Amino acid sequence: MITVTIDGKKPPLTYPKLKTVLQLLANLNLRVNDALIIREGELLTPDRHLRPGDHVTVRMVMSRG
Amino acid sequence: MKCKRCGELAAVKLPSHHAGFCPDCFEVFFKRQAETAIRRHGMIKPGEKVLVAVSGGKDSLALMRVLTDLGHDVDGLHVHLGIPDSSDPVCERTEAYCQENGFRLHVLRTAEVGLAIPEVKDAVHRPICAVCGKIKRHYFNRFAYENGYTALATGHNLDDEVARLFANTLRWDAAYLSSQGPTLPGEGRFVRKIKPLYRLTEFETAAYCFLKGINHWKAACPYSGGASFTGHKKLFADLEDRSPGQKTAFYEAFLAQGRPHFKGASRGEGQDTLYACAQCGFPSSGEVCGVCRVRELVAKRKGEAD
Ligand code: SF4
Ligand SMILES: [Zn+2]
Ligand SMILES: [Zn+2]
Repeated sequence: MITVTIDGKKPPLTYPKLKTVLQLLANLNLRVNDALIIREGELLTPDRHLRPGDHVTVRMVMSRG
Repeated sequence: MKCKRCGELAAVKLPSHHAGFCPDCFEVFFKRQAETAIRRHGMIKPGEKVLVAVSGGKDSLALMRVLTDLGHDVDGLHVHLGIPDSSDPVCERTEAYCQENGFRLHVLRTAEVGLAIPEVKDAVHRPICAVCGKIKRHYFNRFAYENGYTALATGHNLDDEVARLFANTLRWDAAYLSSQGPTLPGEGRFVRKIKPLYRLTEFETAAYCFLKGINHWKAACPYSGGASFTGHKKLFADLEDRSPGQKTAFYEAFLAQGRPHFKGASRGEGQDTLYACAQCGFPSSGEVCGVCRVRELVAKRKGEAD
């Protein structure tokens, strides 16, 4: 299970299986530079692998006014 | 993915630059982009004092950081708008960040000059953001002018600039197209306006803030009807996705090839001549400037209420 929190929204989304950040982006309908993808304080590029048990934070970059 | 500069594991992928960077090299990249913008567009001359318009959002704090790191003499100005549940926490967070980082920050409270935004909102019959924007621009410029700053820097990024340019191109707004750019020269009581982050995208400033531990304010203003040009930004994000580099190409080609053709375009009848406002002395297209007129409206409404 991979847990994904988008901009602090609760509850987080859960995915039984996701191989890469790119798959996550595709699932969320996001382009590469639409959001920061963060795991354990680290920024991830789309090619990085995700593992079961990962907590991923998605931070949208477009300002909201 | 590996860092293009040093070969370590990359943290950011930038398709528009055909590159990935590790955190350290990304910072080098970011600083160089700002440096290039400043140099190419004559933004800051050696020894000049620069005032940074600090809203507390990611762009303005990133700007403060990068200008300081590049060795420029900068102070910040935060305009406290007097909006309940919003202006106080934004201001406190911004002050705390600046203090921790050794940045000098001035705070100007619009309530102290008769322009608390909630009162303005009740007194005018126009969308509040248009009026609020005008008030902020007036005081940023005025503060810079009265306190001896040569330039006023704002955190506009490439996405902001491209979306705005695109919107004005759709309307063929010649006056706008003639005067738009990363540097607007100073004149009279107008100080020079500069946008040192105009070559950097929203993603890049967000990544920079994250990597530099810049704890910016993320909530939107309660009066905001959503960020401006959101639709245009999305359109351009699609274009960029299909052919990386489009945003920069569109904007830079406008500066080099488009803008010269609009030189000298009129703003419309009676709009080109500026006078000194009879009340505050700052440039105005009428006898009394828009900001002083709004202040009168607020005072009048308060007088009636009392
Ligand atoms: S959203 Fe509108 S009212 Fe709020 S700070 Fe921005 S311009 Fe002012
Ligand atoms: Zn590197
Ligand atoms: Zn005035």
